[in-house]
Amino acid sequence: MNKEINSEVMIEVIDLHKYFKELHVLKGISTKITRGEVVAIMGPSGGGKSTFLRCMNRLEEPGSGQIIVEGVDITSPYVDINKVRTEIGMVFQLFNLFPHLTAIENIKMAPINVRKISDKEATERGMALLEKVGLVDKAHSYPDQLSGGQQQRVAIARALAMQPQIMFFDEPTSALDPEMIGEVLDVMRAMAEEGMTMVVVSHEMGFINEAADRVLLLADGVIEEEGTPTQIFKNPTQQRTKDFLGKILSL
Amino acid sequence: MSNQKFTSRNSQLEELRKTQGIIPWHRRHEFVFGALFLLVVYALLLPQVEFPSTGQWLAIGLFFLLSLAWSGLFLSDEQKPEWAKTITVFVILFLAGWLFYRYADADWERLSHVFFNWELMSEPMEGGTTAWDILFAGLKLTLQIAFFSAIFSTIIGLLLAVFRSFENKVLNIFIIAYIDFFRAMPIIVLMVLIYYALPYTGITLDAPVAGILALSLNSSAYVSEIFRAGILSIHHGQIEAARALGMNPVQTMRLVILPQAFRVVIPPLASNYVASAKDTAICSSITILELLKSALQVQAWRANPTAIIAATGIYIVVFVPLTRLAGVLENRMKVNR
Repeated sequence: MNKEINSEVMIEVIDLHKYFKELHVLKGISTKITRGEVVAIMGPSGGGKSTFLRCMNRLEEPGSGQIIVEGVDITSPYVDINKVRTEIGMVFQLFNLFPHLTAIENIKMAPINVRKISDKEATERGMALLEKVGLVDKAHSYPDQLSGGQQQRVAIARALAMQPQIMFFDEPTSALDPEMIGEVLDVMRAMAEEGMTMVVVSHEMGFINEAADRVLLLADGVIEEEGTPTQIFKNPTQQRTKDFLGKILSL
Repeated sequence: MSNQKFTSRNSQLEELRKTQGIIPWHRRHEFVFGALFLLVVYALLLPQVEFPSTGQWLAIGLFFLLSLAWSGLFLSDEQKPEWAKTITVFVILFLAGWLFYRYADADWERLSHVFFNWELMSEPMEGGTTAWDILFAGLKLTLQIAFFSAIFSTIIGLLLAVFRSFENKVLNIFIIAYIDFFRAMPIIVLMVLIYYALPYTGITLDAPVAGILALSLNSSAYVSEIFRAGILSIHHGQIEAARALGMNPVQTMRLVILPQAFRVVIPPLASNYVASAKDTAICSSITILELLKSALQVQAWRANPTAIIAATGIYIVVFVPLTRLAGVLENRMKVNR
């Protein structure tokens, strides 16, 4: 991708470790994410990809190490994590839309209650976002009336409504039927082109090849390999990487 | 040709009827009406005595069994009209009742005079009130107590469930202790303690207030478990999405979890309220003149238990519709998203 990447560091992860009871899931992850960068995290299942992503907005509690988001050390006990989370938008594999609210209500909820903006302004912003993801006519539909692809796009709009600086995607298309994956990736591609800082856990090779600036290959809790998509896909250096690529490319 | 294995016996029957005019002998009109005629004759010839001998009992029993067999054949035929089947069911029920009435060695006159003595119930006593007036005054108290204890138990139960969701270890110890205590304590003991013992600590409560308090405390333990189950049933992803948007735990609970949990808990809550409403009868032990106590008093004054039968009827008439209403509410919650 040809775009200006500002060198402002949005997130810095220093020697992150995470344990689930006895299991050492993250074994010392360190990396930096700069503004405008699209970072893809790939790797075999159980390698720690989702855990790593969720540690960065503390949906999982880090075991040890430091995570600094926009200059704020979120691993410190004094941090207001709710404020930090308003700067990071998150899109989930299972969408997690609020089923008792319509699409536009889903989108409006956080801006009104957390950013404290007026209902009118939130509705305007929400409708603009729905237009951006191509779902204006579904504004008053409930999630169970929408297809998976439509739900995920509403979820993206909901995250964007908070005007975050960074967007996290946790396998956003893994629960979608093949026909709907395209519409969601289109939205994500557009966001990348507009310069949004994105961290994406995904298996979508096509999207990663096109849109990602950097790929992290996470396996067994460590970053096996790191590089541009071209480097990783064409010239992997580590055996683990080759094994993993071999498996998914054979599909 | 249809696969013989999958067609039911009745559609095979239809096939037979249509294609070949062949009907099993027990489904033919001639048999059905003939047997019915014979049963009617049998009924007319039933023994006319008050106290049937063993042989006569066998005859009566045989009659009833044959009637059942006939109606079984009739009802199992899909070809016969629905209205005829409905009539058959009612006739069988009526027949069972009539046989019992006719041949059971019961003194129906006396039974009616003792337990179903409606004249006595409507007869004014001193002060011009009838037994019915006393019962309805009791009903009013029962409903008031049930209503207020439902409200308070819901508020307390909801608060307990919400606090429990914070998963604070120390707080949880107190909450669980509360729930265990009030589930273990018999309501009558609790009520008697509150009304008779509490005044010694300086807190004197009126009987209705004491009753409502006891019922609320007891019911709140169950209500909190219902709410807790409802809250836990909400998919964890909902909480994650809300927190990821920057909402704090209180907002998450208020805007995302509770609205969804509310729909889930309506059926078990409704049945809890109805069960709790029947517990109002326990208030009779602390001098409250609710429905049951009123009935017992009338029984004492008139030396006649009809009042209790009447009270039972009132309980059924009032609470069965409430239970049905809870069912309707549940269905409306599902449809109206």
